[in-house]
Amino acid sequence: MQNTVTEKFSDVVSKITDIGKAWHSDDIVNNAYANLASEQKNLKQLPPITGKKAKSAIVISAGPSLHKFKVIHKLKEQNYQGSIIAVDGSLVKCLKQGLVPDYVLTLDPHPTRIVRWFGDDNFEENTKHDDYFSRQDLDVDFRNNSIRENQANIELVNKYANQIKLIICSSAPTNVTTRALAAGFDMYWWNPIVDKPQDPNSLTRKIYQINNYPCMNTGGTVGTAAWVFADAILGMKQIGITGMDLGYHTETPYHMTQTYYELHEFIEDESELAGLFPQFTFPLTGETFYTDPTYYWYRKNFLDLFTLSQSKTYNCSEAGTLFSEKLNCCTLDDFLART
Amino acid sequence: MTDLLKGNFSTQKKVVLENSETPEDNLESKLKKAALNSIGGSMVYVERTDMTWDGE
Repeated sequence: MQNTVTEKFSDVVSKITDIGKAWHSDDIVNNAYANLASEQKNLKQLPPITGKKAKSAIVISAGPSLHKFKVIHKLKEQNYQGSIIAVDGSLVKCLKQGLVPDYVLTLDPHPTRIVRWFGDDNFEENTKHDDYFSRQDLDVDFRNNSIRENQANIELVNKYANQIKLIICSSAPTNVTTRALAAGFDMYWWNPIVDKPQDPNSLTRKIYQINNYPCMNTGGTVGTAAWVFADAILGMKQIGITGMDLGYHTETPYHMTQTYYELHEFIEDESELAGLFPQFTFPLTGETFYTDPTYYWYRKNFLDLFTLSQSKTYNCSEAGTLFSEKLNCCTLDDFLART
Repeated sequence: MTDLLKGNFSTQKKVVLENSETPEDNLESKLKKAALNSIGGSMVYVERTDMTWDGE
């Protein structure tokens, strides 16, 4: 099986970072200003953790394996005592199953989509002409775009928010901030590292000068940010990652992937298509998954950051493309038995 | 030289600039667009050299 990509594909993916800078610079700075308010807490003011909460953490990302392997059910059933760190996209799913995360990460600056993870007060307007959620590998309830579902989510989040520390990035859109405040989260702010802060003209430095919040790397996705938070901010010794697939199951036809039509324009023959969807064999199961430029970019970011890690991290997703010689994979059951 | 000649004469035929974009450039830009589409324009970009930074 492949487990590698062509040089051309890799080169294309390596340049994705630069596009993001052009795409988001203004939003990130504007949101940092808009989110500025007095008496805000930041990552430095997180209360210390002790006991089992300080020894290990589970990161709950929102990929398809989260549902397939009933991760939340297992954590609840086995009464996991370590810290539970969820991404915004898995918050409601956790709460629905009675699992209240200790921390929830949010960072995405999108002005209309992200607020939905918290229950959107402006749901109908924000979902008009937007099929983003129907294209995600997420809780099927989210795909249904149901007003009733959204209202139930608002009530659920409101009920538990004051028990959760929201680790909120200064790049968050103001509707997420407003919603989080209304729900009653215990909020801690931070900035994203988006370029070399040592550079006097860096955007990271510019954002830092707006609010003086500590800066943290994101790897480009909230799941990786959650892992960085566990590793570098909480200083966890052991971290289990779940729901971080960064790939498609081979049962998913190419035409169901999100970049199929764009990629298809550049091949002359159908047989060339596979080269644009490199395959990986997941080491624990021997199952094959394939990736696309976006997931591959996330994967590379994670593995690069992983080389800086101080923790012992296990990928417990049991599926996908996120593994390397140094990044161990194990089942969630095995991880829970170790901790 | 281009600047010196600019505007000094009119061509009889309309000059059409040859597209200097290589097929590879074209593919690259479109792949980038494809990646952005799949993210929905909602990513935060990254620098991979530091996990954290706090002023200095």
